[in-house]
Amino acid sequence: MANELRFLVVDDFSTMRRIVRNLLKESGYTEADEAEDGVVALQKLRNGNFDFVMSDINMPNMNGFQLLNEIKKDDKLKHIPVLMVTAEARKEDIVLAAQSGAAGYIVKPFTKATLEDKISLILTKLGLK
Amino acid sequence: MQNTHSTPAASPVVPPDVHQTIGLLTRQLHDALNGLGMTDRVKGLAGEIPDAKNRLTYIARLTGEAAEKVLNRVDQAKAQQDALAQEARRIEALIIADPVAAVAKGHVMNFVGDVEHSTHQVDQLLTDIMMAQDFHDLTGQVIAKVVNLAANIEDQLVQLLIQTAPVETAIKGPAPAAALVVPVLAADYQPSLAGPVIDPTGNPDVVSGQSEVDDLLASLGF
Repeated sequence: MANELRFLVVDDFSTMRRIVRNLLKESGYTEADEAEDGVVALQKLRNGNFDFVMSDINMPNMNGFQLLNEIKKDDKLKHIPVLMVTAEARKEDIVLAAQSGAAGYIVKPFTKATLEDKISLILTKLGLK
Repeated sequence: MQNTHSTPAASPVVPPDVHQTIGLLTRQLHDALNGLGMTDRVKGLAGEIPDAKNRLTYIARLTGEAAEKVLNRVDQAKAQQDALAQEARRIEALIIADPVAAVAKGHVMNFVGDVEHSTHQVDQLLTDIMMAQDFHDLTGQVIAKVVNLAANIEDQLVQLLIQTAPVETAIKGPAPAAALVVPVLAADYQPSLAGPVIDPTGNPDVVSGQSEVDDLLASLGF
């Protein structure tokens, strides 16, 4: 079941989007789309059918916190888990993300094992695995 | 006896009033900045210069490590490929010499196992090479901050130039291009977010790795 999940990877750096998508593919998650900022991500989320969002924080137009808030405000989207994948390492940012409803938080640079662990943990908690 | 204290012949002769002139200019600059109320801003920018140096050092370190990692993994992958090719040639010779014996003695099946093992290892090396490219994201964010700092310094200097220029120059002279460009550049960045941590040592406000993130989230009940 987990392998059929549809991911949305949100990051303003195309290199990082490719890395995360490739890692997802290696982990068996072949359904993934990408967005370069929160605005594009929100459009795709509202027009598509996604099960999991992985978002950077520091992005132009709409940052990861704003995207997280928009997702959690939207009745049709708020059930989607949002895993923050970011270089922001301030404790206040991590606490803010948790309080805002993020399902997890990964600091860059990260390993493949960390990514797999966090996704697995979130899916298990949601009963999707 | 040689005079060790004699002035070298190549040294320029410094007129006695030069130091006095430099001192006077310094004093005038100081007074001018004070008069313009810019000392705090200039001090603030000066304080950011070491941070910019740290950030540039961080970029050099990260790109250097990434290059090193990629080259090492490529070396390992090439060694794997060479070994596999060499083994393939050996098995080929065995099959040509005696196909039945090559299969019966397990040479072919052993080779199939070797190929599977080797491709798995090379795949892991390729993943490592891919992960090493994350420096692009991290250094990109840091470069943006350094560019922002440079733009701020440029802006301050342009402002200083405008405010201290003779009236005629200020009116008739061409507007510095930077004065028009700088605000646009600065607006492109978001200073509210800190970006990658250059040196977490001794900074209690940031985490130094994923384990600290996990601990913090666990303490919050996540």
